[in-house]
Amino acid sequence: MTPVTQAIKPPSPVARPKEPLDPVYFQIRDLVYKVSGIYQPEEKLYLLADGCGRRMKQLGSRSPRDYWDHLTANPSRDGELRQLLNEITIGETCLFRSQAQVDALRKVILPELMADKTRQIVKKLRIWSAGCSTGEEPYTLAMVLMEESEGRLKGWQFEIAATDLNDRSVETAKAGLYGEYALRNTTDYFKRKYFVPAENGKLQVRQEVKKLVTFNRVNLQDDSKMLFMKGMDLVFCCNVLIYFDGVSKSRVIGHFFNNLNFGGYFFLGTSESLLHLNDQFHLIHFPGTIGYWKPSLSGAKP
Amino acid sequence: MTASVAENIRERVARIETTPAIPAVLVPLLKVLNRPAEDVDINEVVRLVSYDNSIAAQCMRMASSPLFGLAQQPKSISSAVVSLGLHRVESILLTCCMGHAFPMKSWPLEPAAFWRHSLGCAMVCRRFSEQIGSPETEKAYTAGLLHDIGIMANCVAFPGEFALVVQRAREAQQPLFDAELSVMGFTHCETGQVLAEQWGLAPEIFQVIAFHHDVDHASAPRGLVAIVHLSDLLCRMRDLGYGYYECSKVDMIADPAWAILKQEYPELERIDLARFTFELDEAVAEISEMVRMVLGSSAS
Repeated sequence: MTPVTQAIKPPSPVARPKEPLDPVYFQIRDLVYKVSGIYQPEEKLYLLADGCGRRMKQLGSRSPRDYWDHLTANPSRDGELRQLLNEITIGETCLFRSQAQVDALRKVILPELMADKTRQIVKKLRIWSAGCSTGEEPYTLAMVLMEESEGRLKGWQFEIAATDLNDRSVETAKAGLYGEYALRNTTDYFKRKYFVPAENGKLQVRQEVKKLVTFNRVNLQDDSKMLFMKGMDLVFCCNVLIYFDGVSKSRVIGHFFNNLNFGGYFFLGTSESLLHLNDQFHLIHFPGTIGYWKPSLSGAKP
Repeated sequence: MTASVAENIRERVARIETTPAIPAVLVPLLKVLNRPAEDVDINEVVRLVSYDNSIAAQCMRMASSPLFGLAQQPKSISSAVVSLGLHRVESILLTCCMGHAFPMKSWPLEPAAFWRHSLGCAMVCRRFSEQIGSPETEKAYTAGLLHDIGIMANCVAFPGEFALVVQRAREAQQPLFDAELSVMGFTHCETGQVLAEQWGLAPEIFQVIAFHHDVDHASAPRGLVAIVHLSDLLCRMRDLGYGYYECSKVDMIADPAWAILKQEYPELERIDLARFTFELDEAVAEISEMVRMVLGSSAS
């Protein structure tokens, strides 16, 4: 598909008080989307420009146009793209990163999954946070499920598998210690209920929350390991696939699809898309967020 | 719906009064919009835009919004027609007129939310039809803008009943359409049809108003109804709904409207829905800005 944004909304003096951006950034935005599926909305384009600026400084490139050549023509373009993706996704993780995703989970998805499982004897939900980094996402999910278990999910069992490629991230995640920045979206209600004060003004996730999450080091490209992650109701994989090339990305997405139960859901980051890499998933719109659905066996509509 | 209910709707909608300056422009404008493009006289449109000074001034301001495509405010109406094209100027005039057509005091639904949805839907319809290669992009805009006129009719002609509908929809976080059915027994699709007849709207716009919640029953060609149906769903999922959280989910590709549209426009399959959605988000701020402009002081 041809880039279309400029047609729907060309640079506007109203939306952007700063000086107009070099049009090259629109090209870079399209390139980033094409290789990673990450879409930088226009109001965040200056962040992309900042990221490019830092890279340009490192490389000593003189203009955005010159940097564009690094991203495209230069023999090191794959490496440079990866560096840029690092720049723009850095510092993105925090607890309760996407309220729209949490709402969709609580209000739409959990009631639906429960209805699907009414006939099962053991009431159980399995969730996988793939590429969990330092644990923000799986702990958020655990807290949300604990909240729900006081109501409609009473008596249900949960298992949250959290995996990451990076050993150090996994160790940090296990400790469950978070500072102000990681907690910027966490309400006082959740802070009081699910954390205990720790040193240096940090908060530590309570033991009951930790008990719901199992952390492991897993390489998503390790096909044999991926086979052991079966029977998931939900898979979250945020800003991880962006680093894979097209072929490996397709393969990993295929694993996620196979590991999901029929009727299960797959979530990416809020501005991330599957592109056209998998046509078995259905793209589903929830209020303010999108997810991907593995159609149920009955073929019934969601 | 019984005959007496239908009669009641007809009677109450017939009593809706529009603000005085509007029919003088709106009624002839709707006639112009019904005409095939080659029969439309540019001077006629320019005359309609110029009829009322405040409407003309507002149209010129709207023309300079990024949503309509000009970087600067045009110097004259004729120059707006030259740079934007006749159809787009008609769209602007229609948007402007509709924003002033009814008194908006004491609506049960927040007028700004309603207009954000209507204008948002119009924009998405136009964008959608561009992407699937439909030649009638401005018609899609008009259809999106007018698809919910029945909700305006409900606000004005059935204020008490519709207030209960809105309350029910908010509490149950359900679609307005469902709440209308359970509270009133009829919906904005019925009241909209009556209004569409009164205004003499084009048959395909009538189809959109009557069947955007029930695409299967629209009469062929159903492509336009399908575009509006899908755009409406998308807007309600992306911060361009009626101003409350609607607890639902949408599988656009499994929707019957998708299949209908695909028959007419095979290009549909190539659409990147995720990106389309992200781009829609970018337009939300601009749409809100335009709603403020259109409503001005007429919404409280």
